[in-house]
Amino acid sequence: MSGLRDRMNRLRGESREKDKQSEVSLAEGANEDESLAEALTSIEEESNDEADPEWISPVWDTFGVKLHKNDVGSFLLRKIVYPSDFRHGHHAIEELHAAAPGLSSFHPLQSSAAEKVLFLDLETTGLGVGTGNIPFMVGIGYMSNHQFVIEQTLIRHPAEERAMLAYLAEKLQNYTYLATYNGKTFDWPLVINRFIMNGLVRNLWEPKHLDFLHPARSIWRNTLVSCKLSHVEEERLGIHREDDVPGSLAPQLYFQYLANGDPAPLEGVFRHNETDMLSLACLAIRFGHLLNENIRDYIPLPDEPEEMVRTGLWLERMGKTGLSQLLFDMAINAKEVKPSTLIMLAAHDKKAGNWMRAVLLWQKAIIQSSSNFGAAAHEASVELAMYYEHKLKDFDAALGHASTAFEHALNHSMLQRRDAKMRAELDSLRNRIARLKRKSMKQIQ
Amino acid sequence: MFKKKSLSELIQQLKANENIINWHEIDPQDAKTKPIPESVDARIKSALHKRGITELYTHQFSAYETLQKGENIVAVTPTASGKTLCYNLPVLQAIAADDSCRALYLFPTKALAQDQKSELNEIINEMGIDIKSFTYDGDTSPAIRQVVRKAGHIVITNPDMLHSAILPHHTKWVSLFGNLKYIVIDELHTYRGVFGSHVANVIRRLKRICKFYGSNPIFICTSATIANPRELAEQLTGNPMRLIDDNGAPRGRKHFVFYNPPIVNKPLNIRKSATVEVNNLAMEFLKNKIQTIVFARSRVRVEIILSHLQELVKKEIGSNSIRGYRGGYLPKQRREIEKGLRDGEIIGVVSTNALELGVDIGQLQVCVMTGYPGSVASTWQQAGRAGRRHGEALVLMVASSTPIDQYIVQNPEYFFDRSPESARINPENLLILVDHLRCAAYEIPFQKDEEFGPLDVTDIMEYLVEEKILHQHENTFYWANQSFPASNISLRSASQENVVIVDQSDVANVKIIGEMDRFSAMTLLHDEAIYLHEGVQFQVEKLDWEHKKAYVRQVDVEYYTDANLAVQLKVMVIDKTISRRTTAVNYGDVAVNMLPTIFKKIKLTTFENVGYGPISLPEEELHTSATWIELKEVDSEIGTKTLEQLLLGIANVLKHIVPIHVMCDRNDIHVVSQIRAAHTQLPTIFMYDHYPGGIGLAEDVFKRFDEVIAAAKKLIRKCPCEDGCPSCIGTEIEGINAKIKSIQLLEDL
Repeated sequence: MSGLRDRMNRLRGESREKDKQSEVSLAEGANEDESLAEALTSIEEESNDEADPEWISPVWDTFGVKLHKNDVGSFLLRKIVYPSDFRHGHHAIEELHAAAPGLSSFHPLQSSAAEKVLFLDLETTGLGVGTGNIPFMVGIGYMSNHQFVIEQTLIRHPAEERAMLAYLAEKLQNYTYLATYNGKTFDWPLVINRFIMNGLVRNLWEPKHLDFLHPARSIWRNTLVSCKLSHVEEERLGIHREDDVPGSLAPQLYFQYLANGDPAPLEGVFRHNETDMLSLACLAIRFGHLLNENIRDYIPLPDEPEEMVRTGLWLERMGKTGLSQLLFDMAINAKEVKPSTLIMLAAHDKKAGNWMRAVLLWQKAIIQSSSNFGAAAHEASVELAMYYEHKLKDFDAALGHASTAFEHALNHSMLQRRDAKMRAELDSLRNRIARLKRKSMKQIQ
Repeated sequence: MFKKKSLSELIQQLKANENIINWHEIDPQDAKTKPIPESVDARIKSALHKRGITELYTHQFSAYETLQKGENIVAVTPTASGKTLCYNLPVLQAIAADDSCRALYLFPTKALAQDQKSELNEIINEMGIDIKSFTYDGDTSPAIRQVVRKAGHIVITNPDMLHSAILPHHTKWVSLFGNLKYIVIDELHTYRGVFGSHVANVIRRLKRICKFYGSNPIFICTSATIANPRELAEQLTGNPMRLIDDNGAPRGRKHFVFYNPPIVNKPLNIRKSATVEVNNLAMEFLKNKIQTIVFARSRVRVEIILSHLQELVKKEIGSNSIRGYRGGYLPKQRREIEKGLRDGEIIGVVSTNALELGVDIGQLQVCVMTGYPGSVASTWQQAGRAGRRHGEALVLMVASSTPIDQYIVQNPEYFFDRSPESARINPENLLILVDHLRCAAYEIPFQKDEEFGPLDVTDIMEYLVEEKILHQHENTFYWANQSFPASNISLRSASQENVVIVDQSDVANVKIIGEMDRFSAMTLLHDEAIYLHEGVQFQVEKLDWEHKKAYVRQVDVEYYTDANLAVQLKVMVIDKTISRRTTAVNYGDVAVNMLPTIFKKIKLTTFENVGYGPISLPEEELHTSATWIELKEVDSEIGTKTLEQLLLGIANVLKHIVPIHVMCDRNDIHVVSQIRAAHTQLPTIFMYDHYPGGIGLAEDVFKRFDEVIAAAKKLIRKCPCEDGCPSCIGTEIEGINAKIKSIQLLEDL
């Protein structure tokens, strides 16, 4: 074997320096090996009397992991049951019952009940949905008899995957909805991959997706630094993790376990996944309440205008128009509204034919930008120019707005290189101004 | 008034030209056909009838019949002989008969795949059967990808896409892999060297996946003329192959003419520039509206010739009737040029070897090559662009003053008598094999007794377990790593750790313009080196060896740089030896230690040395295969000093000769002479593959040793210089009769 390694190193041209380094690290490794060997002997001693495949290290039991067997084989399973009054951050788990009907807006014509939702979160050995990325841990969650149940499976080696998938397949059939965070593009396609790789039926379940990453992005894209679940839960769900093992470390910890068989470091991964599952349930509650338009019965409405508008826009897209109007009004009347928020709402009003408010919002956006004429004010000016030209045929007013936009754009473009987009914009403004001047002249004549 | 001349008149006129040193005629051949087989679907037959095809050429017929028997085929087809029907007919027939059948087409480039799709869809439309064919490459929009995966009967792609996007995501392609009936590999001859060795492994992975989903596809390969199409196809696919070479396409009379520009400086053996001669020759044809293709070896050369020709004939035919064609043109522009050539609206085209591949431009009347294209196979392919099914055609090769060109034109029998080169691959190259075993294990867990090519790979699997890339459980090796292996492996690059070339001429727009293997980079990308990229000069500002990056800036200088490399060779293993009376030829593994020392600045016009500088880079070691010649006894009258010079001269000749004989680039195989080799203390000449682990070139030299030596002798003998010039043994060394002595040395080998 060392012969092959030497040859590989020679062909790769790994320099002597590197060889020396690896020798050093080998020497260090030797010490580790010793302690590892000790650990292993102790494990071996404990397991001395077993040729029994059903034996598992007692360490597992310290965090509630048991061996599970089915017709296909065995794997490890951890089951946690939360009482219905358990609170995770701002929400109590029992709110899921009240919230669930709202979630049916994700899939019109479907009714939904808390018992029909399965929560899913995978811990995998890598990134992406390639065939070599293996979910070593599958977390599922569901409501059962007014309790919230989380089940987490772990495979002790890749050959146990089949038994684990068979267990999952059996569970899936009882549910209609699959609630995830990015599960539509990641977790679920990966599960399908594994079904195919293990020769199981791949069409056994067609879930109705509740992928909360999408609404989270719609609503918090600009208000939160990141839309990662751990960030969203902290900022908006009132959840604070302590001693959390970051998800990105999970693969490494699992490989370590594969190499030395020591379960202890995996406890952190179980806990991390468990919190993810709970947060997922809270997101379902949060979005369910919003869609039921009664969120104020549980938590206050958002206090940032940008978030108000984005939440309203999302609700409208989901077919809910009551609460959205309230949110829009709140945003308009809020003290500090960014021009960008105003024009976002104005674009919505323009599309809906509500010109009165749209014009108001554009004007407001320009007024608020007086000290710093930015992209939002530019857009508002152009929109107003179009409005005055086409709707009111007031060419002089239109000319005023177009000229303002042009001047600012020109000044702005002096400061940086003009790219194709900027040149096109300047050209179109030039054309608009010329046309308006013609029209204006004609009108006078 | 200008009266147009016909091609025959121009041919007669050309025969009197004193610079023509060989005139070869290829006789016309009538079409050989057979009826379309009974078993072909009526809808396909009628679609073929609509296109005027009522019978098949013999090779198309044999291809079809052989495939019906379930055998794999490799069809060798010259340009424009109806190659595509060799695979389209059986594939369309299979899908017409069973809608669930799938086929995968592999083309070496995206452009060829696009062409093929258009052609295929035309015939499918005429058939009136709902057969979906799609290209799948980097340009395919995400929206359509899903449709291609699920519903595409024929998926047209390239090996790189297969390697990095399709195979690692095979679960998305269940309907393709589960029902794959045919795999088409077009332009088989392009899969050679490092690229071919990679692709052979990609195909092993492909076959593994097919097996997983229960399909066992038949391979249909087509190739230009090379010496070993069947061997290459079998090595590449791992399947036994039936060779189809009974070409039945008709062709008219073809004149194949070698033109050697006149010598303008006798002592230095300098000839008139080939480019100038090409301009004048091509102009005659274009003025007379005879459709002509001019091949040039670089993109820059194409542009130079193009602008000259456009200027020369703009009065007669208008400059828009002459177009350029090369990599870097937009696809739309290319399609327009191809169509113009087919319709006859474009009279002349100047191209790089981009038009050597199977792009359909119809058949032209005259082909002019600026210099020898580098291999017999390439030459025939370019020559194939001229030649209509009826009527005469002319192929004109204008030699440059490089030794290879001069050797070819002065030894026409070498070119015409000799079968074309063999295409070599070495899929067992350890680095390449290990790379693809990683990918394979990522795709599907690897069983201990599983085969992957002819070697037992269990050792490698165990090595990968030690490297913590795989995890072994009982008899299965599982992928156990966070990485995505395919993304780090490029099928087209020479070695793993390439030096990336970063152009920072425009500070606001720093971009990567290329990459180079680390061994070549030592002498071509050191600090202050002048690096030529597409004809533009760049100077290396900084070579960051540790991070393998070379930062360059565009310059305009009057010199180029030439680095000295101190090379040490150690023989590790001797695999084969042929002992002769006073010499021995060996083949085996060597370690090459390379240390660049200094570089010289050499003036472009006069080759004067105008300066030099040091290179400080660490020594690099290359392990590879080599063939070497040892001189066990040397005529004692030749002094050591002279012998050293003679060896250097012979090495110079071999540098030119070897690439012609084993079909590779000059940079792929290196030749080094030593007056006292480390392992034997004997005078020795080494020829080694310039790729870690070797790719089979040195082995080929060993096999063809006598042929190579004979060619070397001939080159020296036929060179018109007095006693040595850069075209043969290098610069003249006074008073040692180097040419005669070199030939004598070679006689003894």
